[in-house]
Amino acid sequence: MGERPRLDYGALVADDRVHGSVYTDPQIFEEELDRIFIRGWVFVGHESEVPAPGDWVTRRLGREPVIMVRDREGGVGVLANRCAHRGTALCWEPRGHSTSFQCGYHAWTFGLDGSLRAVPYPAGFDRDKADLGLDRPGQVGGYRGFVFANPDGGAGPLADHLGTGGVGMLDRLCDLSPTGSIRLDRGWIGHRVNSNWKMWPESDNDGYHLNWVHASMVAAAPDTYYQEVVLGGETGNQSLAVDWGGGHFELDFRPSYGHELAWLGAGRDKVSGYCQALEAALGVERATQLLWDGPPHGFVFPNLFLGEMNLAIIEPISTGEMVHWHSCVQLEGVEEPFNRRLLRQSEAALGPAAFIVPDDAVTAERMQLAFGGARPEWAPQGRAWIDMSRGLAREQVLDGGRRAALVSDETTNRAFWHHYRQVMSSAGVAASGVVAASGVVPASGVLPASGER
Amino acid sequence: MSAEDTVRRQVEDFLYMEARLADESRYEDWEALVTDDMHYWVPAGSAQQDPADGLSYINDNRARLATRIRQLTTGKRHAQTPPSPMRRVISNIEILSDDGAEIRVASNFVLYELAVQSTTRLRIWPGRVTHLLRRIDGQLRMAAKTVELVTATEPQPNLAFLL
Repeated sequence: MGERPRLDYGALVADDRVHGSVYTDPQIFEEELDRIFIRGWVFVGHESEVPAPGDWVTRRLGREPVIMVRDREGGVGVLANRCAHRGTALCWEPRGHSTSFQCGYHAWTFGLDGSLRAVPYPAGFDRDKADLGLDRPGQVGGYRGFVFANPDGGAGPLADHLGTGGVGMLDRLCDLSPTGSIRLDRGWIGHRVNSNWKMWPESDNDGYHLNWVHASMVAAAPDTYYQEVVLGGETGNQSLAVDWGGGHFELDFRPSYGHELAWLGAGRDKVSGYCQALEAALGVERATQLLWDGPPHGFVFPNLFLGEMNLAIIEPISTGEMVHWHSCVQLEGVEEPFNRRLLRQSEAALGPAAFIVPDDAVTAERMQLAFGGARPEWAPQGRAWIDMSRGLAREQVLDGGRRAALVSDETTNRAFWHHYRQVMSSAGVAASGVVAASGVVPASGVLPASGER
Repeated sequence: MSAEDTVRRQVEDFLYMEARLADESRYEDWEALVTDDMHYWVPAGSAQQDPADGLSYINDNRARLATRIRQLTTGKRHAQTPPSPMRRVISNIEILSDDGAEIRVASNFVLYELAVQSTTRLRIWPGRVTHLLRRIDGQLRMAAKTVELVTATEPQPNLAFLL
């Protein structure tokens, strides 16, 4: 096979359809790692995962292993998990606590800020230690405890990336806490799926599939709140599929909720302590609004799923393998039984043995198998396309600039793909992912991300 | 045969039967082996944690276990449609305690599962099980089953069958 010309993403992603090779082509996967996971903003974790100085967790930004760590000043940094000497991984457990990072190979020691502190037998080493700190992303930013990194550093401000939609969804989640803060301190569960990573922003936010993919859940547990917000299809609810722009989107269930706390599947009598705490903190009017609206069900490009009171990170592994990591949102300032209720709901919904997501996983795996032979060269032949035209003609622009259609319409999927096409078509080459400054969220934990607060 | 040998024989027979029913996706027959207060637990890390505190792969009380079985028997549980062909081998059986009413027994297992629903890959699930068995009307029944997977801390593929 001769050398392939530069891929034309405009020929693979149309307004109303997508070519199946985007799930299976190795070159496309490599270009995604570069253009999306190196040159763009990527969700890393939440500050509450590393509450005390020296606490750390390990993550992967695309293929790059990183450490998210709380430093001595209280800021949260993101460091490459790779010794600056010979490249050994410094941390190999999912979480831990250290006063410094010492490499197991030659005992080079790095501070929590990534700076090189000590080298054994220093007499034989005449480099300046200041030049040999750990690699770090060019930009790290945070909003309401959510930490994002842009490895390349050239993506512009985080606030511009999140936009109205990303900021608004994070606000709607965090505002459910009487203190305005969430915690992600119950660990993560990984669900390994033999599918392309992009099937998950699609599936997690598809308002069209539930009656079929989740037929067994509906039959076994017919009284879930999904009945009133999405299972009724086009005519049975008022929910919306929303494109916020910038690759962020949501299934907005708010118009369908018929009573407060419908999203929790529990009445006020079951969670009166929570309701009272919210009212005491915010006043009855604001609390009542929040209790009706509930958390968002949406996606922050490229890897953060806000699944109501759950979060998921979409981690690409290869064209045909990914991990769907999830954790359960815990609210600060509420009684423990309320948070435990959320844990039990999370166990029912997400993960390899839950009632919902395994059926999405097997569906994605079947889709991956079906596109196993798809090649970009097939696109002009009209072969191996997916159709996502549903509802395109009835989208409307609503307040806040969002495009919306019925919940069963493929507006959310188009929102992902239209932004994907723009990002993947962008010219230029990523700058070095190695920048020595600014990879820290200040101790306050909140950057001035926008004028929304 | 000593009384202890008789108990061991009964326990082994129960474990082998329970394993066979799970292997063959005989959901309702398997469910008939559990007590009304059954707790079915597959932790996502070490079993030392309190299941109430964290996130587990499976943390079913009796009601949720009933929902799980109902879902599997709808015929529309795509993650197990068709059911995975499975066989497991049980060994290293240790009776940890027996107070006359309840027996705690631990065993090792290796389960081979063919993921016929999609990838057709053979998946291998090694682990250790602790059963709490209760004597009810002369029969053994499961009051608790805790499955500690060797791979519990790593991402898992679909786990929609009965472990």
